[in-house]
Amino acid sequence: MEFVSPEGFRLDGRRPMEMRQIRAEIGAVANADGSVVFEMGNTKVIAAVYVQNRSQQINDQALVRCEYSMANFSTGDHMRKPKGDRQSTEISLVIRQTMEACIMTNLMPRSQIDIFVQVLQADGGTRSVCINAATLALADAGIPMCDLVTSCSAGYLNSTPLLYLNYVEDSAGGPDFTVGILPKLDKVTLLQTDAKLPIDMFENVMQLAIEGCKAVANYIREVLQENTKQLECRRGT
Amino acid sequence: MITVEKIIREERFTGPSRSAPGLDREISALSFPAQSQGMVGLSFGEQHFIQGGIAQDLRSDGRKRLTYRPISIETGVIPQANGSARVKLGATDVIASVKAELGKPSPFQPDKGKVSIYVDCSPTAAPVFEGRGGDELSAELSTALQRCLLGGKSGTGAGIDLSSLSIVEGKICWDLYIDGLVVSSDGNLLDALGAAIKAALSNTGIPKVQVAASAPSDGQPEVDISDEEFLQFDTSGVPVIVTLTKVGRHYIVDATSEEESQMSSAISVSVNRQGRICGLTKRGGAGLDPSVILDMVSVTKHVSEQLMNKLDSEISAAEACEEES
Amino acid sequence: MAGKSGATPTTYSPSPTTQNKKRPPIFNDVDWVRSDARGFQQCRPAFLRTGAVNAASGSAYAEFGNTKVIVSVFGPRESKKAMMYSDVGRLNCNVSYTTFATPVRGQGSDNKEFSSILHKALEGAIILDSFPKTTVDVFALVLESGGSDLPVVISCASLALADAGIMMYDLVASVSVSCLGKNLVIDPISEEERYQDGSVMISCMPSRNEVTQLTVTGEWSTPKIHEAMELCLDACSKLGKIMRSCLKEATSALQE
Repeated sequence: MEFVSPEGFRLDGRRPMEMRQIRAEIGAVANADGSVVFEMGNTKVIAAVYVQNRSQQINDQALVRCEYSMANFSTGDHMRKPKGDRQSTEISLVIRQTMEACIMTNLMPRSQIDIFVQVLQADGGTRSVCINAATLALADAGIPMCDLVTSCSAGYLNSTPLLYLNYVEDSAGGPDFTVGILPKLDKVTLLQTDAKLPIDMFENVMQLAIEGCKAVANYIREVLQENTKQLECRRGT
Repeated sequence: MITVEKIIREERFTGPSRSAPGLDREISALSFPAQSQGMVGLSFGEQHFIQGGIAQDLRSDGRKRLTYRPISIETGVIPQANGSARVKLGATDVIASVKAELGKPSPFQPDKGKVSIYVDCSPTAAPVFEGRGGDELSAELSTALQRCLLGGKSGTGAGIDLSSLSIVEGKICWDLYIDGLVVSSDGNLLDALGAAIKAALSNTGIPKVQVAASAPSDGQPEVDISDEEFLQFDTSGVPVIVTLTKVGRHYIVDATSEEESQMSSAISVSVNRQGRICGLTKRGGAGLDPSVILDMVSVTKHVSEQLMNKLDSEISAAEACEEES
Repeated sequence: MAGKSGATPTTYSPSPTTQNKKRPPIFNDVDWVRSDARGFQQCRPAFLRTGAVNAASGSAYAEFGNTKVIVSVFGPRESKKAMMYSDVGRLNCNVSYTTFATPVRGQGSDNKEFSSILHKALEGAIILDSFPKTTVDVFALVLESGGSDLPVVISCASLALADAGIMMYDLVASVSVSCLGKNLVIDPISEEERYQDGSVMISCMPSRNEVTQLTVTGEWSTPKIHEAMELCLDACSKLGKIMRSCLKEATSALQE
């Protein structure tokens, strides 16, 4: 199947290195300490963060927990999956580990940080979107973090590196890298793939994904600054 | 730490409306923990304030007893569904989606389609819904909605016209899968879900189906689903659900979760446009005098008229808005 | 098997495919005779016994026509360690069906919501303050499903609770009414339930005149629902008397 047309367009009309449209809306869940609706292209997730004071065995740092769930209507076909299947447990774990890497848990002892991510629409790259949403929700909740983790994916189809695969491209079976970075520290915290890729192409694809992450990071920073400005404005200072 | 976050944190600690994440939990932990209704922990003073306000027909958020919070409806939020809607009722936020798939009618009712309603409580709404924690509430809401919208066992009095879903009698029909998702919860979930399903149904387009004429009489007839032509779903018979919560001697509509924690009992009645009752569920443990129930039913009928009109205008506004964009 | 079709079968086999293809037209008429020759407003004869299960703290067996139910009550016993402290008691209800309860094997498991309805129906009648920190378990088993299962389960469960010595404000009696065409039919059997246009189920405490649980399905006009509720409440108070006399009998038998 042809994923990149001779004119250099992908199935959804993007260029190979073009990002999907990003939209974020802070404060989607009223009761949560921090929440966000995050969209990248057609993939849409809600993330909510709850912080609880709960004394437990670990006294010197915060406990981070994460649950990932998919809405019944998030995919095209209709199926009602039982909660807590293997795939969502795995993604929950990935998100938790990635977020733990940037949360300064030692600053919030005896507390429990719950991150809940709910997928409303799935169109490829849910992992990346969930991580980005979780970052924003954590920032909205005022959790101390050493950097804003951002994530993006990149693939390799028709011998072209492609930024952020959508569902159709993802199901083609080619390599798909999910990369998470700490943009300011320039460190990679997450790297996943499930298909083989020629080693000489690896660097290109990886670089593309990192560029994507940085673009997301810039957007997230803008959103946060805009939100802070509005809060300031509302306070009337 | 990043400067932006610092500012946000300061905002939280000094902000007028929201307190620091850790702080309010501490307060609620100190207050009276024995409220059986669960998540909301209120002190005696707060409980008294809410009850007193209801008795004087001025609730904590300034509403009267029989006033709803502002409703906002957005349709077509889930592109891959046949119809969808998002309803916000104050801080309560729910999404409903309708998917139509071809299926086989049940042998008991060969001339009717099938509808299944299922509600899921997302853990984003409250940490207690984590894992299997939301299952009990999900099941309760699903049953209540089925009772309110699908009518009796024989299918008469159903809000959704099941015979319009039939394609070839006894062979093929549409199966409607209605999924609700609670995104944010601040009381009165059932009314919000009922409204969301009504909006999603009126947003639903069911593809036109051509049945091949030369179908073998015993086998499965071949059908051709149109990609372009859709039939608008008739929602004139879909009832609205009104929940009346009894706090002290008074009834209130659209209770917030704080008010719900003070309820002795509540009844949810679904009423259609003709003012007939299409389903009723009682919640809460305390017993009610039969005459009180009948009184509550007549109040819900009165309220439902206003709600029905309000919803209709909101839904048509939402659809107009969707068409523009 | 097929070759022997001419021979008369020696054993009875219910054939679920032949029955109930279409709604029998009889229900649409104004006048028809119920299949068990009852009047529309006549309940099935009730047979109630306490003390059916020896191991339980209290138990009861109820038989309404073909509907046969057994309920056992355990406790009050210490709540699970994981549960939070509570200064009122907890009630845990579970309704299950035997695999042979329905004509088609294992069909009874469709009724998942029964447990929560049973819980809500009983919760208001039990004085939960009388056993803090503890849990009472109510396990109901439907041996045979013959219609109006849930009302029978609720009435039987309150009898079992009384037998276990759990403090209650009053017994809970429960009755349902089906609407078939123009007629209101009390205490419907399975067949009537399958073709009903609507139903009302009321559980109430007869001496206190309080409704603990009420569910309505189908489309109803206000006068009709008044009529149905009257009918149910009247039947509930009569059922309450029968339940009371059953308990009295049990204690007097014990004293002798």
